[in-house]
Amino acid sequence: MAATESVYRPAAPTISAPAALGSAGGIATEILWVAYRSLRKLSRSPFLLFFTLMMPIIWLGMFSQTFGTVFERATNVPGQAPLPYDYIAVLLPGIAVMSAIQSAAQSGFSMVSDIETGFMDKFLVAPISRASVLVGKTLADGVRMAAQTAIVLAIAEIFCVAFGWKIPFATGVAGCAMIVLLVAAFGVAFAGLSNSVALFTKRTETTMMVSFTLTFPLLFLSTAMLPYDLLPGWVQAFSKFNPVSYIATAARTLILTGWNWTEIGQAFLAVVIVAVLLYSLAVFAFRRQTA
Amino acid sequence: MSAALAAPRGIDTPTEPMIDVAGLVKVYGGNEGDTGEGVVRAVNGIDFHVDPGEFFGFLGPNGSGKTTTIKILTTLLRPTRGAVKVGGLDVVERPQDVRKLLGYAGQSIGVDGDLTGRENLRLIGHLYHLPGSVVRDRVEELLDVLQLTEAADRPAGTYSGGMRRRLDLGSGLVHHPPLLFLDEPTTGLDPQTRNAVWEYLRTLHRTERMTIFLTTQYMEEADQLCQRLAIMDHGRIVAAGTPHELKAGIGADLITIRLPQDGSFEANRARALALAHTVPGVAGAVEFEQGVTMRAVHGGATLVEVLRRLEAEKVPVNEVAVSPPTLDQVFLQHTGREMQVEEVRPASRGPWAARRN
Ligand SMILES: Nc1ncnc2c1ncn2[C@@H]1O[C@H](COP(=O)(O)OP(=O)(O)OP(=O)(O)O)[C@@H](O)[C@H]1O
Ligand SMILES: [Mg+2]
Repeated sequence: MAATESVYRPAAPTISAPAALGSAGGIATEILWVAYRSLRKLSRSPFLLFFTLMMPIIWLGMFSQTFGTVFERATNVPGQAPLPYDYIAVLLPGIAVMSAIQSAAQSGFSMVSDIETGFMDKFLVAPISRASVLVGKTLADGVRMAAQTAIVLAIAEIFCVAFGWKIPFATGVAGCAMIVLLVAAFGVAFAGLSNSVALFTKRTETTMMVSFTLTFPLLFLSTAMLPYDLLPGWVQAFSKFNPVSYIATAARTLILTGWNWTEIGQAFLAVVIVAVLLYSLAVFAFRRQTA
Repeated sequence: MSAALAAPRGIDTPTEPMIDVAGLVKVYGGNEGDTGEGVVRAVNGIDFHVDPGEFFGFLGPNGSGKTTTIKILTTLLRPTRGAVKVGGLDVVERPQDVRKLLGYAGQSIGVDGDLTGRENLRLIGHLYHLPGSVVRDRVEELLDVLQLTEAADRPAGTYSGGMRRRLDLGSGLVHHPPLLFLDEPTTGLDPQTRNAVWEYLRTLHRTERMTIFLTTQYMEEADQLCQRLAIMDHGRIVAAGTPHELKAGIGADLITIRLPQDGSFEANRARALALAHTVPGVAGAVEFEQGVTMRAVHGGATLVEVLRRLEAEKVPVNEVAVSPPTLDQVFLQHTGREMQVEEVRPASRGPWAARRN
């Protein structure tokens, strides 16, 4: 047996990591690149992008037409002056939250598809924080939700001018910016759920079912669609434990009356609680997925 | 286990092994010792090491545990039991440091079809925290050597199978890892593209002194590329060593002697056959339409002796050949089965294939 042929003498073996590694930026860089990649993907799907941005406008049109008259009849007390705004002004924050929740519900889809295509392994073999992958992806969804919210607010304003809709926008552009921030932050937090389901089940269908099943109860058992006073008693009770209410109420006040920092503070607290709960779950799922 | 597994480390290679695996077990859907529905013992107690700078391979049929092992080595999966060290670091305790050492191209090609080839590579570069200018230069260099420059600005979803494989390979190389893991890197490629990938891997190994760990179902690939390989079956290493050692372990080379097709062919062949039987080391000789073939443990040495005797007896010889046993025979010997390779659909041809035509 001529073993000599195969004895191998490494020329100059290296076991150390390449010197250039680890020099540019920390966890923030990782998150930004993961997010950039997701947004780039979105920009390559013009149809998806278009419908993502149009969805809230369609909701706005439908709900205002269907429920507007009902709301007016309910709030029009004989002998008193009619409300100085349309139902649409009450509904607008609800629509914004609803769109963000819907986007959040779909957030896990890209997680599943990355696992299925093997692209996730590219993230996972890189020396980056696992949380960067999760947060980067949902942050990209947050940008999308912010854009949705900004667009629906802008369209509503245009309709005020063009068709005489009565929306006070009591806090102006700054208030709108606050609404965009609140809604997007909540959307990102809520996206933790869909990503958890995605990571536990690795199935798009399951992710869709779980998220959509929760979406509508969360919306309708909250103050998103109607103000607190118009809700039936048991829904009122439930809505107090529903984080969606706090976002919707704070946003509604910003549109109808003015700055209310208590409500805004409560809303952000709700965002933080939801985020901590759902992201703990998602990180746990992520760890388990790679065990 | 084969002697090759305990290669004389410490003499030839004073450095630590690049990969050191002892008693590795991976059970899916349960724990060590569990049985029942849904419990799969994918890796069933394996030991091996890979030295720095070595080109090492896992050869095995479907489901033999190749991907499972490579995923444990690349920190994508946790071992159920066993000690696994990469670059001297424990993969369970220091995964983040292990990750800095390695590049990986998985079995399911992990390229993002929505991003262009260039964007795919750049993203990886940035994830490894390379400075922007380094990323730019390195990506252009890789696009060039992988012959993807022309297609670099097209979404990778429009690439042919071969181009996607290459892009994926490239994404494992952006950060110049000293250690590269490739899970079936040429599965689904047509022969020309496969040859081009082989050539590139050899170059990488030679010029960058990269340690390469590759899995394959192709005997030829293992034989052509790997300095040392382990043959996997049902989660175990059934044989290991250099391709040469493994084949030599089978016992016999094939010696073929072709005789001139003239009037005395028949007579010459009969004499050659009779002579062959008298040579020590010949394990069996038979006639065939062009001459005589025989088996011998040391093909080369035996051939010399056969030729010497033919010469002495004045039997004219037209052509001689010694062919070693193939890895197919090695697999058969160790498992009692033929290795079944899934039928491969050749990928449509990329520019690499075209170049080589
Ligand atoms: N996530 C999983 N859950 C359960 N069983 C699994 C899982 N992944 C792999 N297996 C099983 O483990 C065994 C080894 O699989 P593995 O993918 O490591 O084989 P392989 O050698 O890479 O095969 P192939 O050549 O087909 O890629 C197979 O029986 C497979 O069905
Ligand atoms: Mg495999």
